Amino acid sequence: MATIAARGLGKSYGGKAAVADLSFDVQPGSVTGFLGPNGAGKSTTMRLMLGLDNGAGSTTYDGRPFSELRQPMRHVGALLEAKPFHPTRKARNHLRMLAAANGISLKRVDEVLELVGLTEVARAKPKGFSMGMGQRLGLAAALLGEPHTLILDEPANGLDPQGIQWMRLFLRSLAAEGRSIFVSSHLLSEMALMADHLVVIGKGRLIATGPVEEFVSGSGANAVIVRTPDASAFAELLVGRGAQVTPSEPGLLTVTGVALDAVGDLAFDHGIRLHELSAKVATLEEAFLERTAGAEEFQAHDTVGRSAS
Amino acid sequence: MRAAFAYEWVRIRTIRSTWWLTGLAVVFGVGISTLISWAIHHDFSTTGVTAGDLDGLAPAVVTQLAATGHVPSVACFILAILGIFAWGHEYRHGMIRASLTALNSRPALWTAKYVVIGAWVATVALLTMLLSGVVAGIFLHDWVTVFTAQTWGVIGRQVLYGVLLAWLAMAFTSVTRSQAFALVSIFLWPLLIETLIVVFFQFVPGLRDHDEIVRFLPFRAGSRMVDVLTASASTFGDPLSALGGTIVFGGLAVAVMVASYVLFGRRDA
Repeated sequence: MATIAARGLGKSYGGKAAVADLSFDVQPGSVTGFLGPNGAGKSTTMRLMLGLDNGAGSTTYDGRPFSELRQPMRHVGALLEAKPFHPTRKARNHLRMLAAANGISLKRVDEVLELVGLTEVARAKPKGFSMGMGQRLGLAAALLGEPHTLILDEPANGLDPQGIQWMRLFLRSLAAEGRSIFVSSHLLSEMALMADHLVVIGKGRLIATGPVEEFVSGSGANAVIVRTPDASAFAELLVGRGAQVTPSEPGLLTVTGVALDAVGDLAFDHGIRLHELSAKVATLEEAFLERTAGAEEFQAHDTVGRSAS
Repeated sequence: MRAAFAYEWVRIRTIRSTWWLTGLAVVFGVGISTLISWAIHHDFSTTGVTAGDLDGLAPAVVTQLAATGHVPSVACFILAILGIFAWGHEYRHGMIRASLTALNSRPALWTAKYVVIGAWVATVALLTMLLSGVVAGIFLHDWVTVFTAQTWGVIGRQVLYGVLLAWLAMAFTSVTRSQAFALVSIFLWPLLIETLIVVFFQFVPGLRDHDEIVRFLPFRAGSRMVDVLTASASTFGDPLSALGGTIVFGGLAVAVMVASYVLFGRRDA
């Protein structure tokens, strides 16, 4: 099974860097989520990885660039477009065409149609397909060669909740077989459930890479919640231990910089009565928004705040 | 390379437009030849035949009058649309990325497209002319033998013209990456633009003295490939010979194809 190694990827449009010196690895047996705000360069990066765009850097799959893979769909399956097919070429014929280029049997074509739940519309023209059905056909194409690596750009787009859950479980099962799954998505809650590792970019540059837990645990949104009738005294003690304390409401403290156990021990040692001691764990969304603050290519104005002021 | 051929071979056969354009080319081609043959049969039967009436008659009927040098081949222009769609569908429907992830060699995909379209167009153009010849033989066997050496020569050159036209249309679509623009251009260029240039050279003082150079207009030159009614003194004389016409028209097709190849290799998919 393949390790994807992207090194020094770069791409500029009109002198403006869309992707700059981007390097990361994707390990076999894992789902690696690719996150970034709109316009961060995720799709460009994926195209660079597959040699579809000309740019700087290189990407290898077990040491070999995509251009050197014989029958590439047997090594790398890709889904890059929402509807990457001709609207009047029947779904099965679309897959037949791709299969022909990679020495893949018609039996496998029917298998992947069954796998993604499109058997009933195999002989239908995809012009009538919903976005979700189009995504399923695109996924079927990516799976055609039983590749060890999948590169999927927003595969959950247009899927209903059942489809999203199916996609998550399916990709997890593929990763469990030892395949490398590299997937971008805007659905952070979904990514939190699906991904083992993350590659986070902003304005074309790497912001973070590593296990999801590591990314989330580094967030400033992780805190200890303390409810005590001695709030002001305990706050002073906590600050003395290097904690940052934010009084949220009377008797309620939000503490960062000190572990939950240490907060409990400190209260016990000084005889301070606690009514609540709990951990507030940051969500992937909070961690993502925190780490990508200011890295958005396009920023909306706060119309709610403006109308209120 | 075999993978690219296999891909293109399935691609061209699994899209409806291939079949309706092929059918249209055959029906129009054979239909026009049938109408012409029937009209000539009626004319010869009622008013008689003079020796001059038979000059180039068989090639003209078989090529739907393209061999007169005055009319472009309807069948070839219809078939050229296949070439436009070969690249146009890639860009219009975002297929190019799927194609290049299934086939990671751009030169192989580029070559396979031109070879498969060329072979398809050559086969259909040949079939159309053979059927047209059979129909012409049925109507005109009392006056002419259709499949003579001259007719076979014209058929061969018309097949070559059809392939070059399809390749030119393909290359133009690949360069512009716009199916609509290529469709409009491939018809406007010979029918309007070259006609306007010829008219300018005929009527504008100053240009009139140089009107012999209009023979190098690509589509005008292309029409010389099959023209059997006007003799030529030399390859690049006025008018051009069939070889001269082939070199000029083919030269344009090759030049645009080279541009298409280079750009396809350099551009983002």
